[in-house]
Formats: sequence, structure tokens, C-alpha cells
Amino acid sequence: MSLIYKLKTAQPTFLHGIHDYLGEIRPFAERVGNPLLKVPMVALKSLEWAIYRWHKTPIRRFYGVKGNELIYMITNACNDRCPKCAIWERPESRAERLSIERFLVCLRRLHQNLYQVTLTGGEPLLFKKDVLAIAEEAHRLDVPMVTITNGRFIDQEFLKTYKSFGHILVISVDSVQRDKWNEFRGRKSFDIVMPKILLAREILGDRLRIQSVLSVESAAEVEKVIEWCRERRIQHNTQMYQDFGTTFWRSTATSQQMIEDPTPCAARKNICVYPNGDVVKCFDHRRIPGAKTPLGNIADQDIIEILSSKRSVEVSRAMKTCNLPCKSMSCNKPQVELFK
Amino acid sequence: MSALIIPAYIRSDWDRRCLLRLLDSVEKQSLPFERVYLVDDASPVSYEVPHKNVDWIKLASNGGPARARNEGVARAVAMGIDDVLFTDHDCILHQDWNKNMSTLLGKGAFEAVGGMTYPWGKTLLDKYHEVNGTLAGKWLLPDRKELWYMPSLNFGMKSFAAEEFPFDERFPTAAGEDVDVCLRLRSKYRIGFCPEAVLWHDFGYQSSVTGFLRFLRLFKKYKSSSATLYEGHTVLMWDASESIYPGNMHEPHL
Repeated sequence: MSLIYKLKTAQPTFLHGIHDYLGEIRPFAERVGNPLLKVPMVALKSLEWAIYRWHKTPIRRFYGVKGNELIYMITNACNDRCPKCAIWERPESRAERLSIERFLVCLRRLHQNLYQVTLTGGEPLLFKKDVLAIAEEAHRLDVPMVTITNGRFIDQEFLKTYKSFGHILVISVDSVQRDKWNEFRGRKSFDIVMPKILLAREILGDRLRIQSVLSVESAAEVEKVIEWCRERRIQHNTQMYQDFGTTFWRSTATSQQMIEDPTPCAARKNICVYPNGDVVKCFDHRRIPGAKTPLGNIADQDIIEILSSKRSVEVSRAMKTCNLPCKSMSCNKPQVELFK
Repeated sequence: MSALIIPAYIRSDWDRRCLLRLLDSVEKQSLPFERVYLVDDASPVSYEVPHKNVDWIKLASNGGPARARNEGVARAVAMGIDDVLFTDHDCILHQDWNKNMSTLLGKGAFEAVGGMTYPWGKTLLDKYHEVNGTLAGKWLLPDRKELWYMPSLNFGMKSFAAEEFPFDERFPTAAGEDVDVCLRLRSKYRIGFCPEAVLWHDFGYQSSVTGFLRFLRLFKKYKSSSATLYEGHTVLMWDASESIYPGNMHEPHL
């Protein structure tokens, strides 16, 4: 892995400083009613701004502020063939897959910093045993877990065991109509999965969530899914469609509209792990200048060592200003915005 | 039923006088507190508390305000108190402070509440804090229907929320621990704002000139904690917020 890279595009410039200063001072100056007080007040505000900007203090980086989400793409393989997704087209070989033990080591190392561990894919439940092993360890470490699944492999035994750990299960549903469902999944799985969703609702209660991907193709269906969830009191989240290597679906918003959405991108909270153990700070890292190469691999490196590297810090800094359409993804949104 | 928790680290005669002034205002509340817990954080200066109905808890070693508040919360929860309210020894409560804070918490829309804080002094530096909203809460934008965070000097929580989200005792001083607890709390609950719950905070400036170094030290202290907060709370720290000051304290949507 090469550590040689350039990051000029994302470096804060002198103009950034001016912009930041004026952004602080202008609204403050407007608050000062007495014109005689404007100058001394602005001078004091400038001092405060300067202290926050330049005063050097040691960072107390202790663990325990649960501000990070560990997202594990446990596999690329999937038993559905959704045209919205191209991840299933690139299943990893058995030799490439990270051993579950290595991921558990990573989870143990990070657990005090995590507010959540999320399993995604591909289809995570192709590796049901591994999912339950992670769920059990996360429960022991008091880290809430979310598993995102297409629902095909869930069964009563899995649900009961999963429920005993108190974790959340998210099932992807883009339609509640048989023909549309089968079209969106690329497999005739409607009659297999729908009863399982109802079973999951019965067993997991409010620990079951539904997520839909909104695109031009699914827009009318997603509205029905939302209504279906509302009737059954299932929390629902809508995620904007993103192009991840497939062009069969079209987004309802342009890239520019997604970029202009004022919701902040919260991707910097994420620690993302690929099926082979590669670590990135965002699954869409290839779009970020200087972040194309993974930060490291937990198969043979310690996760703390990876995250503490200079490169990791600089990639994280670049992500402060990357402002790409992928900020509309659920994983990059502030948690308060999800599942209502 | 509400309990007041006051962490106290008394280092000087000025601190002692502030504490007694606060306890005077506590006694004058139109709605008395069920319990008042004064948690002494191993203060280097000895002092007496002549006020009745104050549970004076003396910690054996100094552990910071977060630990002191958690100690008070544990006692309040053990007593079955519904709401725990927090202030600092250098504050003065309006006589209706408890009534207003408890009323808002009692309505059930919010699990935590913050009030309106004004500076006690009359110097230019105090005026700055008033306009800046240094120790006032912050609105969560764009709606201004709830708070992004509220400093712990004018703050209250339902007991169950305080139990679920204790202060992080690794914050060694009174800086950042309140932001941290609010950001964690907001992952599950909402913080309401009660403009009628007024208190005054004494920054301790004798004059604008002699208080200037104290003013700089205050912001240096806050900066020292903000680095830790940014590391730990990259998500919620990014939510847009706006300091509350007298000009925006009344919001029509609240």
C-alpha cells in the first residue's frame, strides 16, 4: 500500500479562514444593539474566534465517547439479483474473505468508541453463523448492532437468537406488490420473504426496521411501502438511490441536488471494513481525492494503529469538505435523520 | 418531585460567598425542591452550610464536576425523584426557576430541559457573554424547536434519562462534559428550552480590565475540551445550531 499521495484540493486555504471568520463575526455583530458597543464586542468575539482556531491544547483522545459506527460489509455475495445494485456481481472468493476472528478482534479493540456496529453486504445472512457470533460479541461488549438483510434467510430460530441480543434488524423492501418486488429483486422471492417479515415483526417487535431505496423506478412503490409500514407500526427509512456500478436505475435527484442538500455528511464517524478486511472511512472513498487506497487491513494490522496513522487523519480531514452526492446515503447521515 | 444537584469545588472565599448566595436563592423558590444535593468535590477550602434541607455530600477525593453530578443523580434516583436539575455554585436562581423547569419536564414532550442564563455582573465582558450566549443553550437549527445542547449550570433531566446518560467522569474539569452528555442524550431524547426558567451566572469579573485574563482563560478551557468533543461526536457536532441570546430566546414554534 502506497502512502504517497497528494491532497492539495482539500487543504484549508487562507480564504477558508477569512470565510470562517466572517461567518462567525457577521451574525454576532448583528446581535449587538448598541452601536457604541459594536467595536469592543467584535474585538472580543475575534479573540474568542482566534482562541478556538489557534490555541493549541493536547487532545484528550480517550475511548468511551461513543461517536463512531463500525460498518462491516461482511460479503459481496448475495442471493438476490437486484438491478439497483452491482455488489453481488463481484462475490469474493473464500480465500479472500476475512476470518471472523479478526473482525471480532477489531470489534473488541474499538467497542468503547462505538455507538453501533452495522453489518451489510451483499447479503450478510449468507453467513448467518458469523452474524450471530458478531451479534453475541457486540451484546457482550454493550454495542448496539444493526444487520441489513434482504430477509430471505431469516427464520424463527435466527430471529429468536438475534432478539435475545437486543439488536436491530433492517430488511430492505422496495415494493410490497408481488410483481414489482420480483422485478426489483431479480428473483421471485416475494412469497418467501413477506411471511418472514411478518414473522420478524412478531418476534422482534420494534427492533425490526424497513429500508427502501428511492429511485425513479421505485418512487411509486416506496410510498406504498411507507404506508404498509405505518399500518404495522414498523419504523421506515428511505435512502436515495446511488450509482454503485450499475446504471439500471435512475436517481430521483441529480447529483447537484444531492450535493446542495444542507444535511451535513456524517461519514467521518464511520469505520468501514470490506469483506477482505480492508479499512476505509467511507465505502464511497474512491471518489475522495487521496482516499482511493484503503487505510490498512485488519487481517494483519491493528485497527487502532490503522486509524491513528497520519494518512487516516488526513483522509478524515479531506472528508470534511468532500461534499459528494453519497452524503445522502443512510450510512453518511446523522442518526437522528434515520428511521422515523 | 425534583431534586437540585450542585457540584461544588470551593477554592476561595469568593467561591464560598457564591455558594451561600446560591443557597439563599434555593431557599426562596416558589416551588421548593424535594431534595437539594450539594456535592463537595474535595474542596481545598473549608466552609459551613447554614442552610437547612441541604444534603451535603463530601467526596473523599477530587474527581471533577461530572463525577460529583453523577453522585447526586444516584442519590436522587434512590429517593425516587422524578426530575433532577443541575446548577453551579456561582449561579443565582430566579424564584420560579424550579417551578418552570419542572413544569416543562412534567409536560412530557421533552426528557431534558434548559433555561435562560444571564450574566450577573455588569462589566463589558459580562455584556459580551450575554450577547454571545456563552453559557446559554444552543438551538438546534433550522426549526428552533429543541436544543442542540444546554450547559449544565441551567439544565435538568428526567431521572430515567439521567440514569441512562450519566456524565462522563473522564472530563476532568467543568468544560465539555455537559456538551458530551447532551449529544449522547439527543441520540434518544429531546432537550426542550424554557425561557422562563431564568438564572444568573457570576463570571467573577471585577472589572473589564482586571477580568480580561479570566475571560481568555475561560475560552482556552473550552477550547481544550472541544478537541475531545469533535473527536468523539463527529455526527451530532455537525448539526447546525445557534446560541440562544435575549434576541432569539422566544421562538413561536416552541
